[in-house]
Amino acid sequence: MAALKPFAMPKWGIEMTEGTVAEWMVQQGTPYEKGALLALIETDKITNEVEAEAPGMLARIVASAGETYPVGTLLAIISDGPATDAEVDAFLATFKPADALGSAGRGSTDSAPAPQPAAASPAIPEDVAISPAARQLAEARGVDVSAIPGSGRNGRISLQDVEQAVRPPKPAIGGAPVSVEVPFAAIDHFYASPLAKRLAHQNGVDLATVTGTGPRGRICKADVLSSMAPAAAGPRVQLMDKVRKVIARRLTEAKQTIPHFYLRSEARVDALIEMRRQANLFLGSKASINDFIVRATALALIEVPDCNVQVHGDAIHYFPTADISVAMATDRGLVTPIVRGAERLSPHEVALATKALLTKARAGRLSYEEMEGGSFTVSNLGMFGVDDFDAIINPPQGAILAVGAVRRVWGEQADGSGAFESRVGFTLSCDHRAIDGAVGARFLAALKALLEAPERLFPKA
Amino acid sequence: MAQMMMREAILETIRAEMRRDPTILMLGEDIVGGMGTAGGPEAIGGIWSTSTGLYEEFGPNRVIDTPISESAIIGSAAGAALAGKRPIAELMFADFVGVCMDQIWNQIAKFRYMFGGKSKCPVTIRLVYGAGFNAAPQHSQAVYAMLTSMPGLKVVLPSTPADAKGLLTQAIRDDDPVLFFEHKALYGMKGEVPEGDYQIPFGHARQVRSGEHVTIVTCGMMVGVAERAADQLAQEGIGCDVIDMRTTSPLDEEAILDSVEMTGRVVLVDENPPRCSVASDVAAMIANKAFAALKAPPQMVTAPHSPVPFARELESAYIPSAPKVIDAVRQVLAYR
Repeated sequence: MAALKPFAMPKWGIEMTEGTVAEWMVQQGTPYEKGALLALIETDKITNEVEAEAPGMLARIVASAGETYPVGTLLAIISDGPATDAEVDAFLATFKPADALGSAGRGSTDSAPAPQPAAASPAIPEDVAISPAARQLAEARGVDVSAIPGSGRNGRISLQDVEQAVRPPKPAIGGAPVSVEVPFAAIDHFYASPLAKRLAHQNGVDLATVTGTGPRGRICKADVLSSMAPAAAGPRVQLMDKVRKVIARRLTEAKQTIPHFYLRSEARVDALIEMRRQANLFLGSKASINDFIVRATALALIEVPDCNVQVHGDAIHYFPTADISVAMATDRGLVTPIVRGAERLSPHEVALATKALLTKARAGRLSYEEMEGGSFTVSNLGMFGVDDFDAIINPPQGAILAVGAVRRVWGEQADGSGAFESRVGFTLSCDHRAIDGAVGARFLAALKALLEAPERLFPKA
Repeated sequence: MAQMMMREAILETIRAEMRRDPTILMLGEDIVGGMGTAGGPEAIGGIWSTSTGLYEEFGPNRVIDTPISESAIIGSAAGAALAGKRPIAELMFADFVGVCMDQIWNQIAKFRYMFGGKSKCPVTIRLVYGAGFNAAPQHSQAVYAMLTSMPGLKVVLPSTPADAKGLLTQAIRDDDPVLFFEHKALYGMKGEVPEGDYQIPFGHARQVRSGEHVTIVTCGMMVGVAERAADQLAQEGIGCDVIDMRTTSPLDEEAILDSVEMTGRVVLVDENPPRCSVASDVAAMIANKAFAALKAPPQMVTAPHSPVPFARELESAYIPSAPKVIDAVRQVLAYR
């Protein structure tokens, strides 16, 4: 007798109500060691690995990969050794999800298990005409075979009969009378297949104009299709995946409910570019302009703490540290993992942290903690050649900074002469419920001052 | 278009073809007069009345009343065909095809092949088949399945007077041997028949009913059975695509597969017993070529594996009927 226990949909955060089984990493019935990767589970924001807490095996996998289940739903049955079907079925029958959401058992009905077995199903009498395999299945599932009409020789019940009996019935076909008149009887004298005639009738093709290429010169489906005017190519329809749906829902909510306003400014970054070149050379780092901007943003947020906020209903949360979400484009969509305490990190350290997050994001392996929280977002499209854009606030944060490309601009210098200089433009989108124009302006002024005096971006020695 | 019975359509087709082509001749038992007469006012023109008046019009050299010997009928027809004639041989009961099987199977079917295409054997053999006349096991069988399995033969089963005309014209003009199966119970069937020259190419199934839920594949006498089943099921909202194969060899696979790919469910109705029947052959073809399209195992509605019973009650239980087809349709629809 194997010891069985449930593997249910975990709950990783207070907001998590459901998760998707992205992939089963072990097969049913194959033993695994402690720490083995059992499954990948996706939530709104992340894909997490579920590791085995103890050696064992999955006696039965209940949840299908790709399906979404409420928290607490039974996903699989863990066993410490080989378990019989009857044991597993009995366990299934008694399993009650621990979760209080009331989302009992498995979500969808189409893959629902067959009629639940009685705890101790009576053995089928010996004199019933039933094949051995059918008997085994019927006993394991507790199926009443007296109700099954046998399709085998002399009414013997076959495995297929039992399998049919335990499957849920298909929706019945039928209802209002239909017409079975052949609508194209008038074109019956053409040597064409019924499908070709049907298509010709539906699409108004004159079969007299079609040359048959089928057997013995018969007009077939392909002949009619090729004689039809090519239909205009329709759009390719792709349903939104999980990540895209979350992006869509959150951004719609943000743009519709947050009173955005926008402040634009630009900074001269010749000194910053030179500083970055030297720093990367001396420190052997690969910090990007954006890493410097994240660092500058962090310092500016500490300087103007009224911009370092989250908005929760009627409450404004002020943060002591600058936890900056960095917008990243991945194949799976936009993600905004967080560089925490960026005000304490050198540009080099920001670069390392950002790089690590980007690698995880591209693999779809960001953890919940790496996505949760943050008081401010930096979104940079400069590397794509965008000069200037307005970003949508990432709720519940109070503001987002949109950074454009470095441009070479002719400008007046301190001595009154003219020269080319490098500039970066940015737009600050603010939630007016928490941040007023003057506060946003102070933040931008602080940011600009930091970027134009880049030595301040390095911690004092 | 003229209204006529299938026996009239067949007679008129033979008459028209014999007028058109002097090489056509007819052989069979009792085809001239019947009851031992040599024609004249009391002649009934064969017990099926499919040769009435032909003797008077075409004479003893083209309408030949034979002894009761199927091997003589088919053997002479084969020789005449090799010598350049176009004989139409009649087997009063298809059941006795066994008597002349060597002539059909080893000779007629093989000539073109064995002589490297240099000879042809344009024989049309008309076989009267089928149950429903309380005619007992030796006069009621549907032997077309056995003959469909033989390479070198074309097997044709008209299900309406119009098809009888179109297919018989094609059979007579075909340069290869054709077995033309006429069901006793269809001789009295009335229908519109196109006037003038009318030919239906072989291997060209007819769509009898058009529906999207279940495909019913059938031929000959069983077409009417399937039609009645389809019409009744249509009242319940179940649409059946009824396909009349018309010729079981060559078989219009495309028409069948096209339909099965749409419906995914198929019922095969055949008057033969189930083993090695046309139904089992077509079911195998569908399983082989449209497996992915199938939503349920193909169901066969055939006669049981038994001789045709003599007793009326047993005989009517033996023949596939519309209620049996309806049951089969419900079964494929209920499959889960």
